[in-house]
Amino acid sequence: MNNKLVTMAPWLAYFLIFGSLVFAGGDHTIHIASQVIILGLFAIAFNVLFGTTGLLSFGQAIFYGLGAYITGMMAKSFGGDFFVWALLIAPVAAITLSVLLGALSLRLSDVYFTMLTLAFAQLVWGICVKWSSFTGGDDGIQAIPKPELLAGGLNYYIFSFIIVTVCIYLLWRLDRSPFGAVLKGIRQNPTRISFIGLNVFRHKLLAYMISSGFTAVAGGLYAGIDKSIHPDMFVWTMSGSIILMTILGGMRSFFGPLIGVAIFILLEDVIGRSTQYWSFVIGAIMITVVLLFPKGVVGISRHFAGLFAKKGGQLDNP
Amino acid sequence: MTTLELRHVNKHFGGLHVSRDITMGIEQGELTAIIGPNGAGKTTLFNEITGYITPDNGSILFDGVEITGAEPENLVKMGIVRAFQVASLFIDETVYDNIYLAALAFHGKNGNIFTNRQTYKDVAEHCHFILGRLGLSGKENLKAFELSHGDQKVLDIAIALTMKPKLLLLDEPTAGMSPDERVKMTRLIRAIHEEFQLTTVFVEHDMDMVFGIADIIRVLVHGELIAEGNAEEIQKNPAVIEAYLGHEVL
Repeated sequence: MNNKLVTMAPWLAYFLIFGSLVFAGGDHTIHIASQVIILGLFAIAFNVLFGTTGLLSFGQAIFYGLGAYITGMMAKSFGGDFFVWALLIAPVAAITLSVLLGALSLRLSDVYFTMLTLAFAQLVWGICVKWSSFTGGDDGIQAIPKPELLAGGLNYYIFSFIIVTVCIYLLWRLDRSPFGAVLKGIRQNPTRISFIGLNVFRHKLLAYMISSGFTAVAGGLYAGIDKSIHPDMFVWTMSGSIILMTILGGMRSFFGPLIGVAIFILLEDVIGRSTQYWSFVIGAIMITVVLLFPKGVVGISRHFAGLFAKKGGQLDNP
Repeated sequence: MTTLELRHVNKHFGGLHVSRDITMGIEQGELTAIIGPNGAGKTTLFNEITGYITPDNGSILFDGVEITGAEPENLVKMGIVRAFQVASLFIDETVYDNIYLAALAFHGKNGNIFTNRQTYKDVAEHCHFILGRLGLSGKENLKAFELSHGDQKVLDIAIALTMKPKLLLLDEPTAGMSPDERVKMTRLIRAIHEEFQLTTVFVEHDMDMVFGIADIIRVLVHGELIAEGNAEEIQKNPAVIEAYLGHEVL
């Protein structure tokens, strides 16, 4: 079988879909597409922990919000030209914070880890809301300035597309690297990982730092879409949505989370136009997918591809 | 030369005394069987030696170096490697990838984040050597969960061997196997013991196997080491007959 083609097919689709929008997309489409790629980066970075390492963090919004606030507040204070620099500072800050939080939470197992990450995120959300003199409180921050070049939806989309693509490419390399193989090993059998001479905690912490850094980039980019940010970016429903989208798309596949985000946001947009009960419809779709296809949308397509392949592929494997 | 030395090792689980003042010395190149009834503390002893649990008191020395309380991953780097009673595998991965992961760890590539894992020739050669030696060639593309029970146990040992152990500990290598598989496994253990110049310790219930291949047999009962010696000595030892075998086994 043409292995190279199979590995590259998702990338081809990625560039075809998100690249063509640069030439064909209207204002509204570009706005939606910006959200999809940025939240897609968030979800793929989250999935380094969840689908790959088997760590369910319920608090990744902390790094998303942090990235957004660092970028937003810096641009607001120092001017639009600082926006791009702030995008570089955001992941550094997030990685620093992740070392601290990771050291405290990653030694706990399963549900305790999940609960602690949730608690941290809610704590930061609380601070963000209450400390209004610094963060703008409930209102968040509006009219975040950007450099001239990035003004306008299309320019900003192209800018985001380039950064997101580089980030996703790096995460894709990680997924296929020795380190990625160790993370998958940790998910399946952490005891065995210790008994091949590797320190489980250290690998988990590095995964947590990497995931958090890329999440902050996504948060920082989001600050530029509507030029406004709000404390809800920290709140637990933000983390929860990313988890849902990842499961919807398929957590065992690298591009699954991005597909989940795209479906979720498109449904929200399309159904939201015709009924105010859109979340009910999305909920029903979620339940159906999770119950019938626990491997997500990617799982569905693989299922049918498998049925199809079995008809012709018998000769190879008698 | 003594490879592994235990000095007055004790361990309690609540009121249960699972290791009672165990003192023993395992010589380099020895193939040792540890036998004893269920609940005698054999697996606990393995767990203490491999760093999975720490003894309450006493000390464990490896090549003359104190290792009591050391972490498993550091002991693996020193050459103490184990296989498990229930094969401990990366169950969703292929046979090849199971060994590959161990080989990556052995060659210190585990921290490489952005390199493609297929680029390491030395690692790949290492894997193919292990696959071939343990008779897993041809099965390398099967997922671990697709293997027979016997092959899963072999793969578990393959992972351990990939780490180039000096001291190899096998916890019931033939547990749950068919008679055929038992014979194969017994031969395999004897062969790799010599070929890789190992010091091997294994826990076993199958007495034919124990008396067939072990140089030295050590008997644990209720956490206590009650006898050690070669097959003949053990079979004639009154304490062993009394406490464990119940009748002379010949």
